[in-house]
Amino acid sequence: MGNMTNAYETLAVVLICCIAVLIVACLIRSVLGPRVTDRIVAVNSIGTMTIVIIAILSVLLEEAYLLDVCLIYAMISFVAVIVLTKIYTGVYREEEKEESQKEEK
Amino acid sequence: MENFRLILLIFLVLCALFVSFSKNLLVSVVIFMSYSLIMSIIWVLLESPDLAITEAAVGAGVTSVLFFITLKRIGAIGKEHPDEQDETTKEINSRPAVKQFGKFYKGAAVTLGAAIIFALLLMVSNLPAFGDADNPYNNEVSERYLEKSIEETGAVNAVTGMILDYRAFDTFGESCVLFIAAACVLILLRDDKTDTTAKAIQDEKFEPVSDTILQTSAKILFPAILMFGIYILVNGHLSPGGGFSGGAIMGAGLILHVNAFGYKKTQRFFNEKTYKRVTVCALSFYCIAKSYSFFTGANHLESHIPLGNAGDIISSGLILPLNICVGLVVACTMYAFYTLFKKGGM
Amino acid sequence: MEMFRFMIAAIFMFCGVFCMASAVFGMFRFRYVLNRMHTAATADTFGLLLTMIGLIIWKGFGFEALKMIIIVGFFWVSGPVSSHLIARMEVSTNKKLEEECEVKKYGEL
Repeated sequence: MGNMTNAYETLAVVLICCIAVLIVACLIRSVLGPRVTDRIVAVNSIGTMTIVIIAILSVLLEEAYLLDVCLIYAMISFVAVIVLTKIYTGVYREEEKEESQKEEK
Repeated sequence: MENFRLILLIFLVLCALFVSFSKNLLVSVVIFMSYSLIMSIIWVLLESPDLAITEAAVGAGVTSVLFFITLKRIGAIGKEHPDEQDETTKEINSRPAVKQFGKFYKGAAVTLGAAIIFALLLMVSNLPAFGDADNPYNNEVSERYLEKSIEETGAVNAVTGMILDYRAFDTFGESCVLFIAAACVLILLRDDKTDTTAKAIQDEKFEPVSDTILQTSAKILFPAILMFGIYILVNGHLSPGGGFSGGAIMGAGLILHVNAFGYKKTQRFFNEKTYKRVTVCALSFYCIAKSYSFFTGANHLESHIPLGNAGDIISSGLILPLNICVGLVVACTMYAFYTLFKKGGM
Repeated sequence: MEMFRFMIAAIFMFCGVFCMASAVFGMFRFRYVLNRMHTAATADTFGLLLTMIGLIIWKGFGFEALKMIIIVGFFWVSGPVSSHLIARMEVSTNKKLEEECEVKKYGEL
């Protein structure tokens, strides 16, 4: 049985290292991304990977209440996206309308 | 595990560099959203789940939202306009003295930055090792908190016992700071002269209508978020979490409700009157309850509030009601910030 | 028996991480946001689900497993909504949309 625990630990550490590398790749995507939406998509997938990492850590460290953190991310991480898309689209449309009014004059 | 920590630290350094070097403020804020995600992983690794929950609730739900609204208010969102310098600025910038000062300024800034980095690195190399048992913070104070907190406060979660019993006065000050911050925002941003609902309608004319997809999912998620916030709030003395994180989650739920259904539907159950009543009642209850416990504690009188069984949901004396008070103040304040920044009124 | 269980859990979790890796690869490979969003959704749905199934097999069915199922459920409610909003923002703020993704009129099909 002790052998098995070691195997599980090694598996978990390898997996979270892989996901951490993927997170760094996502950061590079979010810096490179030419449009704002590119960056939001990249940051969103960083959020998903964070949920997975914390879930694996909660099983690895045997502390079940860490899953609460994942639940918080799963529930409210999209509030920021809602607010951003609303505001950005609103500002864009307003500017577009102002420009078309200027052209009419 | 060591490699994992190293990758996360590299991520944090890279993220900080990219945030500070990007020219567009909106891009900075979007990249900065990922910083708080990784910080919560690091709190988990350092085995401080209370901080991880608070970081998750505040970082995911509230800070970036407030950043976005602030950017809208200062006009930093939108198409990128090229920097237009008027004639006088150009003329001043082309003077030889100004040019020389610019060179001196850059050189001095680099020298000063390098000196500070060097001093800090020197400092870090002299710090005691991480997690060493002989470190100065492992003194009798933390020993007492860890050994006696269940017996003296009745809270299973030692952190909550610490912040709401041993150091409850500090927490009272923090709640008051939140209230004062909300009051300052109210003074600065409230718009009495114009009709705020009309202004909000005018403002939202350009924003996309919230469609069926958003509304349906909000219908599913809003009760769940509120319930989960209350769970974190009420379980504060048993599991990680507590007033601040639970309140932040509930505030994020209210922000979601406003965005999905509009101000009119939210004003049915949460308007300025509710905000004032809830905040003042919670703060004064906190003040009275804590004064009682300080009075009895300082005069060696017997406190008549039973501590109950450690581990039960109704236990640990005053901690549960105090947690609820802090959570209500935080939830109301977060929502008030959002509406005041957005349209200048509640 | 223990060995068998470990193997199944490991296979599920590696599949999940493979889904995430392919999502990140796609985000670098594709040239436009809507395509990138399409690949990123792989990580959001299957990456999360398969890793959680692996963790449930590791830990056995209990209170934790229930919480993990709730996490997947809530994420599957909230994730697509944010994708939908991002896509709507992209479509309504991009002037050169037709150059990027070959929008065809209904009559042309």
